[in-house]
Amino acid sequence: MMSSPAGLRRTTRSATTFFLLLPGLVVLAGMFILPVAQLVIDSFSDPAGALVHYQRIAVVPVYLLVLARTFLISAITAALCLLLGFPIAYRLAHSGPRVKAIILLCIFLSFWTNLLVRAFSWMVLLNPNGIFSQALAFIGLGDQIKLVYNTTGVLIGQTQILLPYMILPLAAVMSRVDPTLMNAARSLGASPTRAFLAVYIPLVKSGALAGSVLVFALSLGSFVIPALLGGPRDMFLAQLIEFNINNTLNLPFASALATVLLAATIVLYWIGDRWFGLGQVWGGR
Amino acid sequence: MKQARNGRLALSRRSVLLGGAALGGALAMPSIVRAANEEIVFATWGGSWEEAMRTAWFDPFTAKTGIKVKTISGNTYGKIEAMVKAGRTEWDVVETLPDFQWVGAEKGLLEPIDFSVVDKSLVMPGEDMVTTYSIPQVLFAEVMTYNTKLDPPPQGWADLYDTKTFPGNRVFDGDDVQATMESALLADGVAPASLYPLDVDRALKKLTTIRDQAMFFETNAQGEQFMSDGQAVMGMLPDGRAINIRNNGAPVQIQYNATIMTWSTMVIIKGAPNLTAAQKFLAYTLTPEAQAAIAMAYTYGPVVPKALDLIPPERAKILTGGPEMKGKAILRGEKWWSQNLAAATEKFNAWKLG
Repeated sequence: MMSSPAGLRRTTRSATTFFLLLPGLVVLAGMFILPVAQLVIDSFSDPAGALVHYQRIAVVPVYLLVLARTFLISAITAALCLLLGFPIAYRLAHSGPRVKAIILLCIFLSFWTNLLVRAFSWMVLLNPNGIFSQALAFIGLGDQIKLVYNTTGVLIGQTQILLPYMILPLAAVMSRVDPTLMNAARSLGASPTRAFLAVYIPLVKSGALAGSVLVFALSLGSFVIPALLGGPRDMFLAQLIEFNINNTLNLPFASALATVLLAATIVLYWIGDRWFGLGQVWGGR
Repeated sequence: MKQARNGRLALSRRSVLLGGAALGGALAMPSIVRAANEEIVFATWGGSWEEAMRTAWFDPFTAKTGIKVKTISGNTYGKIEAMVKAGRTEWDVVETLPDFQWVGAEKGLLEPIDFSVVDKSLVMPGEDMVTTYSIPQVLFAEVMTYNTKLDPPPQGWADLYDTKTFPGNRVFDGDDVQATMESALLADGVAPASLYPLDVDRALKKLTTIRDQAMFFETNAQGEQFMSDGQAVMGMLPDGRAINIRNNGAPVQIQYNATIMTWSTMVIIKGAPNLTAAQKFLAYTLTPEAQAAIAMAYTYGPVVPKALDLIPPERAKILTGGPEMKGKAILRGEKWWSQNLAAATEKFNAWKLG
């Protein structure tokens, strides 16, 4: 079947591809897929019945509520990152080397700073005696707006920490947009707004989706920011998982919680792929 | 670990994060190369607490017996279970919270203490302080701390929940479900003697009365900050932390009438490579001399009453279980908590969301 030269070449090429991918696949299988499979198995193997842990998750109101909250805050975080990240990514993609370097430096400085350091810095900046609250008080809003130890604090922290994951893929896609396309749209009579909405946005949509998925997925597993900047209501599922591992030593139940989080994420991704074509972000189809 | 205390049982979540890397390291380590002479491996809470133990316990113990004490920090329950289940126990002694003396024993993770070597008669009276698998290490407490601008000062548990007489925010350790619920019940009029079995629903009902004033801190540093800068006017802080901010000039005082005391324990891990040496070490830590030495190095209280005779009165005054707390501190029912923490926390989390 593969006797023709072209066919042979194709076989060689796919064999090469396979061998180049092999080390990565082995690492992924050994370090990620196997442990996750073990975790899922553990969650179903209780002497009292395979589903006891899942029954507890379904019956006790805490877990699904926290799961929903985790998803909701993560979705809002992704939206905020898109809103704030879009103009920055645009500047990053369409500026000269000097501006580009400054923007990149700003992004990476925050990126390289330890997560705990950033969380504690936010606590200092946002607390009622901090500069933001005092600025708000100065314009007469001091008592109405609380910036930290509530959902606002979580959103501020999450957005700042995850913003680079939005900006970088978005800027990568934006910088590949051919500027002549915008000029062509203008020369055909489109207003700048129209050209932007009808030509530019569709071209960078995949970058925006990739950034949003990345931010959303990273946010789902968050632990530090909600714990430090949130209020009593701002629990993320990761906090409950940690409690069950380190405070009650109930690993099977923690595994079940982790499995639920994983399954919910996969289902959501599947929905996104079906209706919004998330798959194309990664070059599929 | 679960409870926060003078920087030692600090910050469960952070220690998880920091410990994550250590876990990989500890398990991957190709069996620790041991020195020819005897040593034990002690998994500790790390930090300044470990340094205090080094001067008060490890160095004198090594000088006396020739047994070296090697320390590893990041002593989480999950790691202990992983280690024992993998059949590769590399730690001998671990300091833990008391719940682990039951939880760990039930899961078969502990070696029994050899009480022919360890003299348990020295230990203070108190339910469950010594078990087949554990000995107490030191005492620590949560004490009511209040802002000095409160005049008259709050007198006890009831005032912690009386937002009419004492308006302002209250702080609680967000990880210390125990102290939070106990304080609610004591404020609601439950007698200390009949605190356990704990009425969780009643505790949450009482907590609801201060829902808008309750602040839960994630790290001790946060709790100190809330009290120091006046964001909260009252609350439960670890005693060492409260003394610390008071010494640093924060406008706070301690009301010992509202004190919940508990203790930390030491256990030996199943399959400990240096079992005999570990038993000797535990025996050493319970001598009055060793207990006095650790109380001089850190503000935790001795679990051996005789040690107080060796400690100057001005030092004893600031120690957990010292004269200031005598007759006031309530000893936590750790056994009840070891069986009910998960269920109580579930209800507490639901309350927080509600």
